[in-house]
Formats: sequence, structure tokens, C-alpha cells
Amino acid sequence: MSSTKNSVSYDALVVGAGIAGGEAALNLAVNGFKVLLVEKDLSVGGNMIKLSKVFPTLDCSACITTPKVSEISRHPNITIFTGSEASNIRRVADNHFVANITRQPRYVRVEDCTACQLCEKACPVSVRDQYQFGLIGRKAAYIPFSIASPKAAAIDIENCTLCGACERACPTNCIDFTQEVEHLEMQFKTVILATGFEMFDANRIPRYGFGKYKNVLTSLQMEREIAPTRPFNTILRPSDGKVPDKIAYVLCVGSRDASVGNPICSQICCMYSIKQSQLLMGALPMADVTIYYINIRAFGKGFEDFYQQAKGMGVNFVKGKVGSISETENGNLMLRYEDINEGIVKEEEHDMVILSVGVLPNEGTTSLFSEEQLMLDPYRFVHQTDGLANPSHTSIDGVFVAGTATGPMDIPDAILSAGSASSEAISYLLK
Amino acid sequence: MDKRLGVYICHCGGNISDYVDVEKVREAIENDGCVLMSKTTQFACSDSNQKEMVLDIQEQNLSGIVVASCSPKLHLNTFRQVSERADLNKYNYVHANIREQASWAHSDDKKGATEKTILLVKAAIAKARLAESLTPNKIMAINAVAVIGGGVAGLKAAISLSDKNTQVVLIEREPFIGGRVGQWGEMFTTNQTGNELISSLYAQLVTRKNVQIYTNSEVVSYSGSIGDFSLKIETTPRYISQDCDAKELQKAMDVCPVVVPDPFTFGITNRKAIYGFAASQYPKQATIDDAACTHCGACEKVSKNIDLSLQKEMVELHVGSVLMATGFDPYTPENGEFGYAENESVITLPQFKKLIDNSESKLIYKGKEIKNIAYIYCVGSRQGDEGNSYCSRYCCTSTIHSAIIAKKKFKNIHNFHFNRGIRTYGKQEVLYAESLKLGDLYLQATDDSPAEVYSENGRTWVKVNDILTESKEMQVEVDLVVLVTGMVPRSDKKVSTLFKLPKGRDRFLNEIHMKLRPVETAIDGITIAGTCQSPKNVAESVNSSLSAATKAFSYISKGELETEPIVVEIDAVKCTWCNECSTACPFDAITQGLDGDRKIAVVNTTVCKGCGMCTPVCPTDAIDLVTFSSKEIMNMIDALTEQI
Ligand SMILES: Cc1cc2nc3c(=O)[nH]c(=O)nc-3n(C[C@H](O)[C@H](O)[C@H](O)COP(=O)(O)OP(=O)(O)OC[C@H]3O[C@@H](n4cnc5c(N)ncnc54)[C@H](O)[C@@H]3O)c2cc1C
Ligand SMILES: Cc1cc2nc3c(=O)[nH]c(=O)nc-3n(C[C@H](O)[C@H](O)[C@H](O)COP(=O)(O)OP(=O)(O)OC[C@H]3O[C@@H](n4cnc5c(N)ncnc54)[C@H](O)[C@@H]3O)c2cc1C
Ligand code: SF4
Repeated sequence: MSSTKNSVSYDALVVGAGIAGGEAALNLAVNGFKVLLVEKDLSVGGNMIKLSKVFPTLDCSACITTPKVSEISRHPNITIFTGSEASNIRRVADNHFVANITRQPRYVRVEDCTACQLCEKACPVSVRDQYQFGLIGRKAAYIPFSIASPKAAAIDIENCTLCGACERACPTNCIDFTQEVEHLEMQFKTVILATGFEMFDANRIPRYGFGKYKNVLTSLQMEREIAPTRPFNTILRPSDGKVPDKIAYVLCVGSRDASVGNPICSQICCMYSIKQSQLLMGALPMADVTIYYINIRAFGKGFEDFYQQAKGMGVNFVKGKVGSISETENGNLMLRYEDINEGIVKEEEHDMVILSVGVLPNEGTTSLFSEEQLMLDPYRFVHQTDGLANPSHTSIDGVFVAGTATGPMDIPDAILSAGSASSEAISYLLK
Repeated sequence: MDKRLGVYICHCGGNISDYVDVEKVREAIENDGCVLMSKTTQFACSDSNQKEMVLDIQEQNLSGIVVASCSPKLHLNTFRQVSERADLNKYNYVHANIREQASWAHSDDKKGATEKTILLVKAAIAKARLAESLTPNKIMAINAVAVIGGGVAGLKAAISLSDKNTQVVLIEREPFIGGRVGQWGEMFTTNQTGNELISSLYAQLVTRKNVQIYTNSEVVSYSGSIGDFSLKIETTPRYISQDCDAKELQKAMDVCPVVVPDPFTFGITNRKAIYGFAASQYPKQATIDDAACTHCGACEKVSKNIDLSLQKEMVELHVGSVLMATGFDPYTPENGEFGYAENESVITLPQFKKLIDNSESKLIYKGKEIKNIAYIYCVGSRQGDEGNSYCSRYCCTSTIHSAIIAKKKFKNIHNFHFNRGIRTYGKQEVLYAESLKLGDLYLQATDDSPAEVYSENGRTWVKVNDILTESKEMQVEVDLVVLVTGMVPRSDKKVSTLFKLPKGRDRFLNEIHMKLRPVETAIDGITIAGTCQSPKNVAESVNSSLSAATKAFSYISKGELETEPIVVEIDAVKCTWCNECSTACPFDAITQGLDGDRKIAVVNTTVCKGCGMCTPVCPTDAIDLVTFSSKEIMNMIDALTEQI
């Protein structure tokens, strides 16, 4: 199908295969340019592929991500390296970058794996599943998640005991413990950074009890609980498996908060919390959902209507800053908050609390480059050197940035930003 | 030979299988005569299932497939590509939408949803039986794009397409390009001025050989479709030649008797009917305001470069794609809305921005020095069901940014923000933090009792029940009230109507799918960019504009395009040319032609969208829609009405 697979020279290097990186790669590919898409994770799709439904249209996220992902995976002009990272990107001439690409071994020959899951059954080692944000476990030989692409097993070598059970169970003999790290050097004419975002670590605010109280979850964990491919097939609270009926959302956890070093607004948390609350009201019609907020930022196309819809469905919006959370004997949670409308401190009991954690930059983008320096903004996102007229320009000529690598944004904005970066990259290639 | 069909029934995670018993559906159809194989699958669209489908088609030598899953809006192309990869002509694949039409619609009735699904799948099988292989129509694509609107979105799109070696025609209705941005001074979040931004974009454009700029021009008619649109552009003369310099213009302006409020400053200053050469007005060529000019001839007498006898001109151009970037209008408050047009201390945010730009050292409005300023947010936005229900997105940040500028530029300014919850999303939040640090006061009204503006003895007050202080009634006496007006769609809808572009609930132009196809419209080959699609700030407008440029480029860059063969066919024998069909066609695809010397209807297959509007109106049943022929539809209806 494609001769590019063995080539060491591409028109463009796209770093990060979330929705932004994927969209940018596809735009280049359909216009005839050869792209290497490098993703450090085991699957393409980034954060979006793990979401439930997406605001403001409530499309099922898997349903709109998978066709994109499969279009990207199969395009003859796109070569994808998962489990891989780029480093030491340097300019050797005009329109000519060289990068080191490191491919971590998966210990599975992807071409031969049929995702039959027999290795998963055979493997005796259980660890927490990072793709379900620790809600459930997985084996050391595992398929990342049901809609992963490539859908193939991988061996978590750190936890593997090398017992060989998976090798014996595999009907296609695709498990290969002799695989080693591969180091490649490749040439590109332009680079697009789409390294995305990380979530604020809720452990950093101990007064909210995340990690200590079992029924305090993060929003990403809740995304998994309500996703079509959800781990429990229903919504339940971790401490005792009870179906919750009084759920609280705490907004701005780790955002708009100089005390944790993040003064900016994360731009998506209001909306994803409103979305989750609507989905919860649908799944658990008897449950009460309360959102504790400072301001509701329903600014995009269709967002305000979506917010009003949640109010109409009976989601309870309380303008209040939550001070602390404590646990009661039955695993319920007591929220102490300042009711801003009444100006007094109040307490309210809930049986499950979701922390709407904020968006942080993905560290490590600067170390991708040697020789030239990739500038970051004060919040450590990739700096946009000409923020109004050229939002995808970076401090390095010929290197463009797409999606949440520049700052928090929702999916529609990430896709438009990817369109913008790929447009600039195409113009650069045609110069 | 009867078809050899494969049928795939999707769980869609649980979106379908939570309400529809997919296994039961499979069992109900597996014994259908031409169904060779049937499967249920977790996600039909997943990569692994697609691979499996390709193998099935090849190994079992299938001559058709039916996929029962979500809306074909999402996945029609996915499964067409699957067919093609398996060397099966893609028109042999038929889709059944069992999610939107069954599982989601009947989530309260699992048995009913399952029964309906069985019928929907049977109907799809009935259609697949008759499906035929088709070849897409191939048409030439002209390597040129018309960009309509020369605001920041249009300018960036033009530059980007020109960079990609595409011919660009930029059509701007006003005598000057730049749009709204040209009207602004310092802008968030970089503090670059609108003049700097537009000057730089214009400088990049004028030197290009492959860009033609038409100012004072509008598209008045069009024909054709993707690949080859023919546009008629009407240009209103400026009446002033390029040779007229600033000095000569000044002489003409001095004698011009007509004074009108200057739209460039939103009416806070006046100008003559003849004008030009202001900062950020490009091209640097004076013009006469056709609507205001009385043709008195005074200017002609003092300048040899003015000719009032010039007439409108019309040109016809051919382009492969059209990019709409017609922007927005600021909301105009009703008379009396927060005192607007009744109290002279009440102005809008755009006017306020011009006022702070135009003022030096002291902020003076209507002869009065301004110290206390009230900003009333969300005017014309977030009005609920009665008005514009959407949030205009740019205005919280723009107001705070302008209030900070005012405070820094002039002495003794006190800012009072009567808001409804501040929405400085993302990094714009730091402006809000800065304004709080500078001592600006924020008062928030409840949704059901908004702030009130009233005046007594020439003094103006704003009153609010402030929810931030336990709903205490607060009153502030101010010198100026700034109404934070939102964005509304352009009041002039001529071009969008001309191209029949669909609008959303908010009346802005609508995209096909916010996430999958955000810059494409229902009309093939026409993209939308910037604020004509929804409120945006500059960076967001540019991102959408460059996305649209990329899309337009990919339509035409290969010189050739494929269009759907799903068009109508006319049976020349039955047709009596009654003209009903051509009247019904929303795309003007049907014209009168001849069959020998008999008049009949003829279809332009590149224009026909296969919408089927013409088929039911034909009195002689002479029209059939390919893939939706009467025979296919009747077969489907038979299947749908079958008893289970
Ligand atoms: C709980 C939650 C709910 C949400 N709900 C919605 C919603 O309903 N609607 C909506 O519009 N948006 C929603 N969002 C936002 C949405 O997830 C983001 O807008 C979107 O995922 C951004 O995509 P991206 O490609 O920019 O970044 P990412 O998805 O973060 O992708 C970046 C990719 O780059 C990879 N990467 C990073 N560094 C490197 C490196 N050095 N080398 C190689 N690869 C690298 C990462 O592994 C990742 O795959 C939600 C977000 C959260 C957290
Ligand atoms: C008060 C105010 C302050 C703002 N401040 C900022 C700021 O500080 N920072 C920021 O980032 N953003 C700011 N914005 C937003 C910014 O103005 C918009 O993002 C930007 O103007 C959008 O550009 P556009 O090209 O989409 O539309 P426009 O600027 O409206 O341009 C559209 C162009 O199309 C032309 N046109 C319309 N109809 C036709 C037709 N039929 N045929 C031909 N041409 C046509 C118009 O004449 C116009 O030139 C502000 C907005 C307002 C209202
Ligand atoms: S951006 Fe602010 S002022 Fe503008 S409509 Fe939205 S909430 Fe109101």
C-alpha cells in the first residue's frame, strides 16, 4: 500500500496523535504530503478517544473519534509510530529538520496480533488500568482499551514477571520478548507540535481529599464511568459499589488558582461538568446533581443553550467556593463551602464528589528541540509568537503548533487550530 | 443473480445494544434469502471491525453489504471506503440508522425498539438487493477561490490560498478592507492595534500576482457548483481616481456639503460624503459614499480626479470554490434598552473603544469629562428564549481589556462592571485578575432582575441587586454607561441567501458538523470562516479561516473532483415538460431541453444534489432518483410493513 513505511524522509513530522495532531496529519496527507505521526502512547486518539459524549452536541465521542482515527491510520501518506517519541529535533538547512525517533518495544508484533485477548486471560499479573484512570485493573499483557488503534496487545514490561504464560496462550505467536528499543534518525521539512495537555493532579490540593476518600473522583474518571465502553456498565461509587444519588461537582480545581501556580481558566471544565451532569441525570433519573461554581463559562457556539438545558433538567447550580471536603462514617462526603449569594459558610453532604480538574501543559515539549529554543508562555504552554494574526506560529521558523499544546481548548477549537497549523505547514512546504 | 449480502449490526458501545437486542435482530434476518452472513459488532466503525469486513467481503465474495449502526451522516464515507478497499463498488453498501431512529428514539421501550430495528434492517436489505454499481462523476476543478469579505478572516484566507499557488479573488463590499478589526485600537490579548494588524495583512496581499482585490463590490448572482462556480460581481465606483492625493481630497472634503455620522467610529464622529486616507483604511484611495452623496458636483469642481458620471461595473468570474467570511454586526440596542438613544450618557462598547482611542490625556464625551464608568454586560446576548440566547464570547474580555486601557490612559477613572458572571476563559483570565488588582468593582445582577439605568436631573445612575453582597440593592452614579453589546449575524443577508446557506438556531451560518466538518456547509464547495459562523475573537477567526482555506485548497488542488452519481434521471418518453420539476428544484439543476423537437426536462448532473424534491411533483412519474428509485423505495416499504 505505501512505500513510505521504509522511507526515512517525510514532508512533515507531527508530534502527538490526539485529535489535533490527527486532524493536522490528515489535512497534510489528503493534499499529497507524506507525514510521520509520532505518538508516545500505545494508541492514537489522545484524550478525546477516552471521553464519553462530547458537549455541546452530545455526540458519542467514540463514534466520532473512531472514523477519524481509522482514516488517519489507513491513509497511505501517513505513517504512525505509537509508543514512540521524537527528540533532538534540529535544523540542518532551510526547510530541513533532522529528528531522532525512539520506538519503545511493545513486545507484540502488531501486524500479527488479532486482539483475541487470550494473552490477557493467561497473564497472572494485575495492575491498575491507566486508561480507565485506575477505576479498575488490567493485566500486564493487555489491549489498551476496546477502541484503541492499533487494536493490539502490549506487554507492560515494568510489571511483567516474564512467566511466559502469554507467549504460550497466543495463537498467532505474535508475542516477542526479544524486541528492543529502536533508534532512528529521520528527515523532515516541517514540524507540527500537537502534544496536548495534562490534567491537574488532584493530590496537590489535599483539603479536597482525593486519594484519601474513595468517593472523591476526578472528572476524567467520571468520563469513564459514563462512557459507552464504561468499566462497570453502570455508575457507582468506588467505596462500596453503591449507586450514588447525590453527586457534587467542584469546579476550578487547580484552575484560576495562583496558589497552585495556575492563574488561568481551563476553559473546558464548566462545560464538561455540565455535560457529565446531564448524562448523569439521564442515567440516574432519581439522583440530585449539584455544581459548585464561581462563574459558568458557557461561551462557545451552542454552549449557553446547553447550560440552560442542564438547568432545565434540574441540575442544581450553586455559586460557591468549596473550602474543604471531609468524609463521614458511611463514606459520604461533607462539603464546606462559601455560598457567594448569601455570603455565609455552609455545609452539605453528598455521596460522591467529582473534582473538575483543570488543564495543564504537557511538560517536555521544550526538550524536543536541540540548538533552537522553543519558547513557552508564562503558563508553560507553547508560546504563540504572533497570537492574533498567526496563532500557530512558534519561536522556531517552520515549526507550528496545534490544539491544546498552546493552551486549554475544547474539541471544536482544537480541530480549527489544527486546520490552521496544517494550513501554515502546507504553505511552508510549497514555498 | 441474486445478491450475496453481508449484514453488520452494531452495538455502538452500548448506545444501541442497551436498548436494542442486537442478537435478536441478527437472528431475525440471518435466514433472509440473500443474506450470506450476519454479524453483531461492538463498534462497526472501529479499525479492527473494518479490517474484518474487508476480509469477509473478499473471502465470501459478497456483492453487497448492509451496516446497521448510527446515522449515515457520521459513517457513510467510512463504510464506503471499506467497500472500496475490498474491491466492492461502494454503492453496493446500504446503511440502516438504528441508533438515532430506534435505540435513542425509543430508549423507554426496548421491545419496540428491537422490533423497529428488525424492520429497518430488513428494509435496508430490500434496498441492497437492488443496489447497483455506479461510477462517480468526474469534473474539472478550477484552481481559484473567491473569498467573500475582507475582514481579518477573509484576508488571512486569501494570503494562505495565495501561498498555496491558488488564484484568489477577494470581494469586499465596503470601499476598504479590514472589517471590524480595522476599527479597533489596542486589542486583547497581545495589545497589537487593529491598524497594525490590518496594515501588515494588506501589505502582504497587494504585492501578490495571484490575488485580485475587488472593493466596493458584491456578488450579485451565481451559477454552477463545486469545481466551477460562475460569479457576477458588481462594483460601485469610488468616483475618485488613484491620482487624487490627500491634499486634493482635503479640498474636496472642504467643499462637500453632506455630513453623516461616520460608521467607522460607530457614529461618535461625523464625516463628509467624500472621505478616505484614514489609518487602517486600505487601499489608500479616497471614495465617495454613494448612499449619502447628493451628486451636487461641488467636489468635481475642485478636483480633476473626480468623475461623478462613472457607472457601476459588472464582471463575471469563474472559481472552483467559495469561502464566505462576511463577519458580524455589533448588536444595536433597542431605543430605551438600558437608556440607549434616550440618555446621552449611554453608548455601546464599539463606540467606547473608538472614544478611548480618539481621546488624548482626558476622556471627554459630549463635552463632559468622564470619571465613573458603568459597563452593562450581555446586552443583546444571553437573552433566553425571547432573543439571542447565545453568549457572544468576545465581549467580557474586550470590556475588561478596554476598561484597563481607559484606567491606564486617563486619570481618575473608576470602573463598575455590572456583569452576569465573567467569562474570561483560558488565558484571558489574567486580564480579569489584573482588573481586580487595579480596583475595578464587579457587581452581578441576578438573571431575573437585571441592572437598571435611570436618570434624574441630568445625572445618570445604575442600580442593581448585587448577588455578590447578599442581593443588597446597590446604586452607582456614573458619567458614562457602556452597553456591552454582543455580536449578531450580518443584517444584510443577500449573499447568504443567494448561496442558500443554512443557518443555525443562533442565525449565524451553519457548519455541517461542529467537530467533523466545522468549516464546510451543506452546499458543496462553499466554506465558512470567521465570525459569520459564530462569535469569535481574532485568533479564533484566523484559525477557522485557515481551516477553511485548507479545505478549499483540498477541493481544488487536484484539478479534478468526484461528485456523487446520486442524481435524478429523466425518462424522456414519459416527460411532457410541464415545468413542475424545475420549479421544485432548489438548486436550479433542471432546465428545458429537447428530445428531437419535443421539449423535455434536462438535468445538470454536476448541480443536482440528489435531494429528490422533483420526484414527487412529476405528474407523469418520469423522474427517478438513482439509488432511491421508486422500485427501491417500494421494496423498502414492503419490508417495513411486513409482520414480524
Ligand atoms: C474530563 C474531560 C472532558 C472533556 N469533554 C469534552 C467535551 O465534551 N467536548 C469537547 O469539545 N471537549 C472536551 N474535552 C476537551 C478535549 O479532551 C480536548 O479539547 C482535546 O482532547 C484536545 O486534543 P489535543 O489533540 O489538543 O490534545 P490531546 O488529546 O492531549 O492529545 C495529545 C497527544 O499527544 C501525545 N503526546 C504528548 N507529548 C508527546 C511527545 N512528546 N511525543 C509524542 N506524543 C506526545 C499524547 O500522548 C496525546 O496522545 C474534555 C476534556 C476533559 C479532560
Ligand atoms: C467591540 C469589539 C471589540 C473587539 N476587540 C477584540 C480584541 O481586542 N481582540 C480580539 O481578538 N478580537 C476582538 N474583537 C473581535 C473581532 O472584531 C472579530 O474576531 C473579527 O472582526 C472577526 O473578523 P471577520 O473577518 O470574521 O469579520 P469582520 O471583521 O466583520 O469582517 C467581515 C468583512 O466582510 C465584509 N462583508 C460583509 N458582507 C459582505 C458581502 N456581502 N460581500 C462582500 N463583503 C462583505 C465586511 O464589510 C467586512 O469587511 C472585538 C469585537 C468587538 C465587537
Ligand atoms: S462574553 Fe460575557 S458579556 Fe459577552 S455575552 Fe458572554 S457573558 Fe455576556
